[in-house]
Parts: sequence; structure tokens; C-alpha cells
Amino acid sequence: MASVKLTGVKKIYDNKVVAVHDFDLDIHDKEFVVFVGPSGCGKSTTLRMIAGLEDISEGTVEIDGEVVNDLQPKDRGIAMVFQNYALYPHMSVYDNIAFSLRLKKVPEDVVYEKVTNAAEVLGITDYLMRKPRALSGGQRQRVAIGRAMVRDSKVFLMDEPLSNLDAKLRNQMRAEIILLRQKLDTTFIYVTHDQTEAMTLGDRIVIMKDGFIMQVGTPTEVFEMPHNLFVAEFIGAPKMNIVKTNLLLENGKYYVTPFGAKIPVEGEKGRMLAEKNVQPQEILLGVRPEHIVLSEGGEHAIPCSLVVNEMMGSELHLHVDTADGSRLIVRIPTIDLDSAGRSELVAGHDLHITFEGKAMHFFDPGTEKNLLV
Amino acid sequence: MNEKRHMGLRTLNRISNTTIYILLIIISIIWLLPFIFIVLQSFRVESTYQVGYVIPHEWGWQNYINLWNSDFKRWYLNTFIIALAAAVFITIIQLCMSYTLSRFRFKLRGPLMRFMLILGMFPGMLTMIILYRVLSDLGLTQANAVPGLILVSVASSGMGYYVSKGFFDTIPKSLDEAARVDGATRFQVLYKIILPLAKPIVIYTILTAFMGPWGDFVFARYVAFGTSSGYNVAVGMYSWLTNDQIARMYTTFCAGGVIVAVPVTILFLCLQKYYVEGVTGGAVKG
Ligand SMILES: Nc1ncnc2c1ncn2[C@@H]1O[C@H](COP(=O)(O)OP(=O)(O)O)[C@@H](O)[C@H]1O
Ligand SMILES: [Mg+2]
Repeated sequence: MASVKLTGVKKIYDNKVVAVHDFDLDIHDKEFVVFVGPSGCGKSTTLRMIAGLEDISEGTVEIDGEVVNDLQPKDRGIAMVFQNYALYPHMSVYDNIAFSLRLKKVPEDVVYEKVTNAAEVLGITDYLMRKPRALSGGQRQRVAIGRAMVRDSKVFLMDEPLSNLDAKLRNQMRAEIILLRQKLDTTFIYVTHDQTEAMTLGDRIVIMKDGFIMQVGTPTEVFEMPHNLFVAEFIGAPKMNIVKTNLLLENGKYYVTPFGAKIPVEGEKGRMLAEKNVQPQEILLGVRPEHIVLSEGGEHAIPCSLVVNEMMGSELHLHVDTADGSRLIVRIPTIDLDSAGRSELVAGHDLHITFEGKAMHFFDPGTEKNLLV
Repeated sequence: MNEKRHMGLRTLNRISNTTIYILLIIISIIWLLPFIFIVLQSFRVESTYQVGYVIPHEWGWQNYINLWNSDFKRWYLNTFIIALAAAVFITIIQLCMSYTLSRFRFKLRGPLMRFMLILGMFPGMLTMIILYRVLSDLGLTQANAVPGLILVSVASSGMGYYVSKGFFDTIPKSLDEAARVDGATRFQVLYKIILPLAKPIVIYTILTAFMGPWGDFVFARYVAFGTSSGYNVAVGMYSWLTNDQIARMYTTFCAGGVIVAVPVTILFLCLQKYYVEGVTGGAVKG
């Protein structure tokens, strides 16, 4: 049982840098929460305040209902995995994992059992007697996780644990972290700058920017209903296309008019606009690359010319320029095209695209907030 | 063609290595000459004054026996006590100081460091007279020179923090943090994590702390002035080099020199490998 609650948490560094502003968050028992945001947005600082490695300037951090602001890291019932692994270089893998247990004066036979168990789970049994420097990046990462595992802590903190690994290993370790989470069944707080990691791992995602929380929600929520432009552009790859355009209301039906085309807003989005009684106005229209489709022309079609065609395997990423020079990214499943259609798609080729009416996002150009929230 | 270039490089490497070795051998011979000379003189028993040849005509232990029967024992013991006490206390103080300055952030930390650095730039000689006054008021001169000299060398040792602090700074702070999360106190972080990783610098600190008083002459002479029982070896042996003593004591002096060099040589032989050992590899990625 371990919930974590942050109330009005603020961090002001000695040099007057305000790294975190009024951070409020309720993390439930056994939840996997991911802090995500660009570098320097205060993710690590927040995590380190929860860990007790950084003083809390204002507000409170509660673990299990107990305010821990003034507790030492070791008394908070947390375990932490660091970005650079922070293995003790002069100790063998076994001693690294056993370190915290020995400090607690756990009997050596119990230490042995716990360390070998953890090593078994992580598949590092063969390296137990090696020094960290004789391990590869992925193995070091496992040792770091093993060290945190044996502490039987209430909260598991991880600060960009995968960012030092190469892409392939990162995918593999990501899957292993999901498995680990099932085995450990404790509360996880995970920091990353990688939205893919956040989406795949988190029960809930906390998106941060410049020390502020931009949105908290499940991966589906933040993907489908980004509260503001920042979240919209941050989540999803390739990133969402943003177009400055107008929202029209004709005969009770909403339209958008990007690049001279006139596209009806359909489905749930149209209904929500009506429910909110959104007035016709200038808007920032967000459309994800996968919600742009090739079209034959007509009222709803936007003419543009192909600049780059990236073949990603199962899909194509088309970078296209519209008449006024705006760059859009279009994502098309490769199987939607026959080979003739595919061979046509070379740089300079003119084509028509249109936006899917049920998958559009509307933002206020001034506040950059989602008009539907 | 590739093969040929490869060979060419290897030959070149070998030539430059050989040159370096020859140079180093020559330099070490030049370095060793005075030591060999003193060792040879210490075994010369046909005469006790300076002579114009190097290889003794008659070999024997007489000079060492003379040493044993002189005040040398006392001086040697004095020096050893001072050096050992200084090594222990200076090492502890300096390492704690460095750890504090490297890992803790507190008000006036920067000014304190600068202040000590600047203070350390003044030659110690400047303080000699006032220090002597203080020691003599405390009754720690002449016959009590040993505790006096220990006090003097230990008292200012915290200022010698920069070498070890510099080394501690290179040890990633995330190791401290990991250890603290693992349950270590600040002190446990120091002796379970930092010190093992900083072994070379710990050894270096011990050695320099020991060597300072071991070779001290000026201050030791000043503090112990005129009282043989308070002399250290350097001061004591210097008294054999006066005009009326030198003819009688020269070879004994050489024997003393050999005995003085013994513990230092042993210390260095035992500890030199730690200088070479690089222990931080693998701490962080890379
Ligand atoms: N020790 C520090 N002293 C002063 N400013 C810091 C310190 N650590 C981080 N910062 C600043 O706080 C902000 C947030 O940093 P951090 O939490 O490390 O970001 P993130 O982990 O999201 O990349 C950054 O602007 C950074 O420059
Ligand atoms: Mg960070």
C-alpha cells in the first residue's frame, strides 16, 4: 500500500531558478505514473524531491498519508534507479545488489537468497561476481534495477532509466519493465523525455513544461483529448500538424477551412463543439499525420506538392508543402497504395489531401487551450 | 599495401619506445648515483672522514653500531612518532574536509575555500616566530618538541584539501545519492563508497602527510633548539656536520641517511601500485 501525494510542491534552486511550480498530483497505490516532458522541464527535480535527494521549497510530499518532507531518503520507503545507473564501481554485482540489505544488517543467508532471486528475475545470475565496468549497458541497467528491487520499497522511482541504451535495447528493456512492474506490484514513478516510453508504460502520464504540469491523464486521454497545444504536439510521432484557420458554423454544422478547402467536422467532435456552443472564430486546427488522407480533389481537398517521402516499412511519411508554403506531415499505411500509386510518390509530385473530419483538434490561438475542454 | 603500412607503424613504435627506455634508464642511473654513494660510504670502516674515493677499502657495520650507541635512536623515534601521528590526524582531517567541501553545500562555502587557498599561499616560514611563541607558552618546545611539532603540522592540515577535494569531485554524485537511497548515512557514504574509490588519493594523502614531518628540518630545529632529546633525525644528524664533528661522524652520518631512507622506501614500494590503479571505470556509462 503506497500512495504518493504532492500538494503545491515547488522547487526554487539556490540560483533562484524555479524548476517546479505548484505541483499537485495524487498517485494511487500500485499505479504506474510517468513524468514526461522536454529536457529541463523539471521532471528529475520533482522525482528527486519525492526521493528526498532535493529539498522541497514549498508544499508537501506525502507517502502513504505521511508527510515526508523532512525524512531522509532511506526513511521514505523508496527505491530509485538512476539514469547513469550509479553502480558502485568497486563492488561486484552481488555486492552492489546486497549493499542496502547489508546496511540494514540483514543476515547473510537472507541477503544471498534475495540477491540470487533478483538476479534470477533479471537474468544476471552469470554476472554476479563481475565488476560493473565489465558489463554492457543493458546489463548495468539490470543490476541497477536489481539493486532497487531487493529493497522491497513502497515506491519505485526511475529517472530516465533507458535513455543511455541504444534503440533496440531500449525497446527490449521497456518490455521488461512492464514485466517487472507486474512482478513487483508496487507504485512506480517513471521519468522520461520520450513520449513513446510514456505512452507504452504509463497508467497515467504527467506532461510537464517549464516546471508546470500541462496535463495529467491516461495515454488514451492525452492522445485523444490534449488539453493544450503543447500536449497535442508533444504526444504522438510524427507530431501533430497545426494549421491556423477558421471555424465556420453553417446550418448547425461546423466546418474548418484550411488552405481554402472546406471540410466538415464530423462525429463526436462536431457534437462536442455544438454542446459547448463554440462560436465561429479563428482557431488553431490540429490534425495528426495519420488523420490526413489522400484525396481525389473537390471542395474538401487541399492541393499540395510532395517534398520528402520517408518509407518507414509499414507506412509512408509524406512531407508535403501546401500552396502557401506550410509544411504538413501525412502518414499513410503502405498497404493502402498499390505499387503504381507508390511509385508516383516522388518529390515534386502534386497531390490532394484532406483531413478526417472526426479526428480534428481545435485550439484557441491566444491561450492555446483546447476549445473542447 | 595495408600490411606494409601496418608493419611500418609497428617498427616506428618500437624505435620510439626503445629511445624512451634508454633515456629513462640513463635518468634513473643519474638519480640513483647519490644514493649508491651514500650506501657505500655507510659501510666504509677504514676511516670516518670524507675521502676521495667511492668504493670502501674495508667493509663493516661499525657505522651502524655507532648509530645505535648515539642519540640517533631517540631522534629516529621522535621523527617516527611525529610523522605517524601527523599521517593519521592529517589524513583524517583532510579527507573529512575534502568530503565536506565536495559534497555539502552551505553558506560561505565558496568564500571559505578561497580564504583557505589564499592563506595557504603564504609561506609557512612567516608564521614561525609567532608559532614558536605560542608553543613555548604552551610548554611545547625543546624537550617537549614532539607534541609541539605534531600540533603544528596537524593544526593547519585542513587547508590542504584541494587535491583530494578535486579527486572527490570527479566521483559522480549519483553514487552518493544511490547509497543514501540504499540507506547509507553520510559517514557511510564516505567510507564505503568515496574512500574505496579514492584509494589512490587516500594513499597520496597518507604519504605526503607522513613525508612532511619525516623530512622536516627548519621548523623542527627551531622548536627543539638546543635540546637533543627533542631533535628529529634531520636536526640531530645536522649536529654531526659541524666543523669539529664532521671528521669523526661523516660515515656514521651516511649510515643514518640510509636508515632514514628505509621506511620511506618501503612505504613507497608497498603503495605505488595504488597510484596506477584506476578505480572509477564503470561507475557511470562509458
Ligand atoms: N542543482 C541545480 N541548481 C540549479 N538549477 C538546477 C539544478 N538542477 C536543475 N536545475 C534547473 O532546473 C530545471 C529543471 O531541471 P531538471 O529537473 O533536471 O529537468 P529534467 O529532468 O526535466 O530535464 C532546469 O532548468 C535546470 O537547469
Ligand atoms: Mg532529468
